[in-house]
Amino acid sequence: MDLDSNRSLIAAALGRIPAGDRAALQTVYRLTSAKLFGVCLRILGERAEAEDVLQEVYVTVWRKAADFDASRASPMTWLIALARNRSIDRLRASRVSRNVDPIDSAAEVADMATPADSALVSVQEHARLHGCLDGLASHERAALRGAFFDGNTYEDLAKRMNVPLGTMKSWIRRAMIKLKACLEQ
Amino acid sequence: MSDTLDHSGLPDDELLAAELALGVLEAAERTAAERRAARDHGFAQLVDEWEQRLAPWAAEIAEVAPPPQLWDRISGDLPEASGPGLWHNLTFWRGLSFAAGALAAACLAALIYVGTLTQQQPLVATIEGGGHRHFVATVDSGRGTVAIVPAGFSSDATRVPELWLIPPDGRPRALGLLRADQTVVLTLPPDLAAFAKSNAVLAVSLEPPGGSTTGLPTGPVIATGKLTSL
Repeated sequence: MDLDSNRSLIAAALGRIPAGDRAALQTVYRLTSAKLFGVCLRILGERAEAEDVLQEVYVTVWRKAADFDASRASPMTWLIALARNRSIDRLRASRVSRNVDPIDSAAEVADMATPADSALVSVQEHARLHGCLDGLASHERAALRGAFFDGNTYEDLAKRMNVPLGTMKSWIRRAMIKLKACLEQ
Repeated sequence: MSDTLDHSGLPDDELLAAELALGVLEAAERTAAERRAARDHGFAQLVDEWEQRLAPWAAEIAEVAPPPQLWDRISGDLPEASGPGLWHNLTFWRGLSFAAGALAAACLAALIYVGTLTQQQPLVATIEGGGHRHFVATVDSGRGTVAIVPAGFSSDATRVPELWLIPPDGRPRALGLLRADQTVVLTLPPDLAAFAKSNAVLAVSLEPPGGSTTGLPTGPVIATGKLTSL
């Protein structure tokens, strides 16, 4: 299935959930669970934790589907943010193992830029974001990657990149404003 | 915080929204920011915007199939009632008024058809996808037929719409090809008639001319709808 069909199918199914339609939730699950499980697993690193969080994510979708506004966000953006947020909440609550290996931004030449799929996330949107990330300094990009993919805090990142906490905060903040300005062009 | 602007040039609220969406806050700060997003609509909107900026990055994360039994765990964990119901769902009514013209015509046609039905209570489904109502289906259980009236479906030169019945086991069963320009009455195969009851789902996929040859949808499912008693 292509991106647009998937998006409209997911949005339509989300729209039926507030009426108590379990089959609609199952449709959303069938179409999106592999992607969201990948996201949870990437952040949490442990299958059992990722399964628990994925279960929480879909129970939340069942409860909160009425909050999803198709005119404001794509359904995948909403679902991915939900999966990331629940995974990060779990990390913060339990301090389960997460990636805190040292990052050497100078060595990070093989920054992965290839989308793993095009059926759920727009290749164009990914390319646009990546173009803007490429405009950042390599240490800024490495810090954002650690936060997005590993669920790292400012403190984790400061340790991983061996800089003071205040430096890490200014790197991330500067990177975020550059990113916003670039994406708004 | 006067130093915030020196660091980033972003207002404090926007910065906090970015930090929450990116996930760099420690537990206590994160909880406080999440609570604020729950009660402050303007702040929640800033968080949404940052989530939208960052979400495309997730394209780089490979899909991993969760274990098959996880759906059963989720299904067993669902509370009975969800939200305020369709009656209060603004999106539903917005969508409905948008499609009202075509839908009204289709409903009228469906009602005329209902007038010709046998004694049993008819079942209807509004088959929708992407914010549009594409077809209205009416099942006559007595005769074992399903009539499908196009509501707002526009055909595609290379593919044809095919109707599927999806019983609770989740496996789609082909019912037949549909038309964008006229009502089609399909006969339910006897082994499927028992599945065409309240809460069964009808789905429309786009297939090569002649329909799917695999017994399952091969093209995108563009619309679905649940059968309910009229």
